[in-house]
Amino acid sequence: MSATYTLGIDVGSTASKCIILKDGSEIIAKSLIDVGAGTSGPQRAIDAVLEAAQMTREQMAYILATGYGRNSLMELADKQMSELSCHAKGASFLFPEVHTVIDIGGQDVKVLHIENGTMTNFQMNDKCAAGTGRFLDVMARVLEVKVEDLGRLGAMSEKTVGISSTCTVFAESEVISQLAMGTDKCDIINGIHHSVAHRVTGLAHRIGVVPQVVMTGGVAQNAGVVNALCEELGTEIKTSPLTQYNGALGAALFAWQAANRAR
Amino acid sequence: MSMNALLDEFKNIAESPKKQLDGYKKQGKKAIGVLPYYAPEELVYAAGMVPFGMWGSNKKTISRAKEYCATFYCTIAQLALEMLLDGTMDDLDGIITPTICDTLRPMSQNFRVSMGEKMPVIFLAHPQNRFDSFGLQFCVDQYAHVKKELEKITGKEITNDDIQNAIKVYNESRAARRRFVTLASEHCDVITPTKRSAVLKASWFMLKDEYTVKLNELNEELAKLPVCDWKGTKVVTSGIICDNPSLLAAFEENHIAIAADDVAHESRAFRVDVPEDSDGLKALAQQFANIDYEVLLYDPESSKNRRGEFVANLVKESGAQGLVLFMQQFCDPEEMEYPYLKKALDAAHIPHIKLGIDQQMRDFGQARTAIQAFADVLEMSK
Repeated sequence: MSATYTLGIDVGSTASKCIILKDGSEIIAKSLIDVGAGTSGPQRAIDAVLEAAQMTREQMAYILATGYGRNSLMELADKQMSELSCHAKGASFLFPEVHTVIDIGGQDVKVLHIENGTMTNFQMNDKCAAGTGRFLDVMARVLEVKVEDLGRLGAMSEKTVGISSTCTVFAESEVISQLAMGTDKCDIINGIHHSVAHRVTGLAHRIGVVPQVVMTGGVAQNAGVVNALCEELGTEIKTSPLTQYNGALGAALFAWQAANRAR
Repeated sequence: MSMNALLDEFKNIAESPKKQLDGYKKQGKKAIGVLPYYAPEELVYAAGMVPFGMWGSNKKTISRAKEYCATFYCTIAQLALEMLLDGTMDDLDGIITPTICDTLRPMSQNFRVSMGEKMPVIFLAHPQNRFDSFGLQFCVDQYAHVKKELEKITGKEITNDDIQNAIKVYNESRAARRRFVTLASEHCDVITPTKRSAVLKASWFMLKDEYTVKLNELNEELAKLPVCDWKGTKVVTSGIICDNPSLLAAFEENHIAIAADDVAHESRAFRVDVPEDSDGLKALAQQFANIDYEVLLYDPESSKNRRGEFVANLVKESGAQGLVLFMQQFCDPEEMEYPYLKKALDAAHIPHIKLGIDQQMRDFGQARTAIQAFADVLEMSK
């Protein structure tokens, strides 16, 4: 019997990610383009993943889109699903023992409760950038550092500077004040990581934090935020090198289920 | 009239209250703006005028009202004032400002100052202690004040017979709306969340006798249909108001029907009839006292979380699988009550989501994601 290939695409607010799965178990190719919903990113991500797999659209048994921009792919994808369900699916695939998923994306934060690989409850942040990837982008700009360097720089800190977790605009003013006072940038960054952790911890406790805890989304690549969250939650947090692709992976897994049902 | 024609008519009225107001004014009728919550509309009707609900707007942006309002006033109150300042509601002959919540109480004075000589602003303070005889008497006195002010506008006396007739008209309308809510759940393939909202919303902009005739006609048409075998999920909605078609469309996209509601703008406004009493004002005051399980009203036994249990039971009894709470931004009563509601829902193992909304929202991306994810959760728990 020939193999079944499915494609999952996660169109986020700041990046577009694709994964091609073989028979719902083997990752054949992946792609990531650093622009998301409303840009050329989704199409470029699909082109890139097909090229990496040396395959065509027609060879995909099923394409499932997720993420903030999922509905912009009505014609291209066979189905759209919420990124919450896909993140739950992807995390359960990577970490079968997972019960709590913390996903910090470009413009929102989600905490998912998982039972037997299925999402049974969730919480999302309010309409506010505090605690999201956008919050870190804003702070990196003010500090004149690259967002990908925040984790490394924060690790060099010797103390934590208190930064507001209520509002991105207020926090930005606080960071500027700290810079004006000559506070070490690494200490400020450490404070920013704890600010994100405070915000996310409040959200996580609304549904309860049950180990194993897994963190997904682009911010999970920042060890400073992960460590600050570990401290706040008092539990170990697992991450994966595929963290940014987790939503796309979940989409590809759901696509595989759908392709099998269609047979 | 066919069912589709009736639904279209309700939709048009719900979408264009200004047009509806213009129509009544052309007929030579006077109209009174009625702000939330629990104003005795019957008195306006008894005075021969049109009560016109003022629950904000999904189309306007707050601009002029900012001159009078603190930023933490809810958008419902601010947008009601905006429409009185930007000319939209200039044809009203007066407004009634109930003062049940901490926003509407000071806001009643913002209305008074901002309207100046433009139109009369009738202040209404409901009693917190509404059950005891002194509370009832206070309510009767307040309603007598509203009656007197309405008489000044209409130029004629409102008799007890006028009030008794209005009570009859309104009780019939409440019964028709309650029946519609039941039928809408039984026929959720026809009455989508958007259509359901439009039918109920139209009631705020129509004379109740006219509205009830049309609603009874719709109810009869619905009753002829076989009860639908709904394959999607059903929820109960809760909150102050959830009338934005763009947001409700997300329910339809995800095959979510509304089994019942606990919404102030919808069922909470017509759950309780006015009892029989030879004194019309006393009857209206007694109805206010009889309202129960209400976030906005004082409950001497609030520590028992009766309201939370009531809402949880509503979910179970209506056949819904979960609850969607529309949390109005800056609505203190709903925000403060939420932990108790959550406690009761969790105890009854009823899944729910809380969506933060306000009437100036135009993008519902995050809410759509949450609704779609909630549909997945409910589907998997079936």
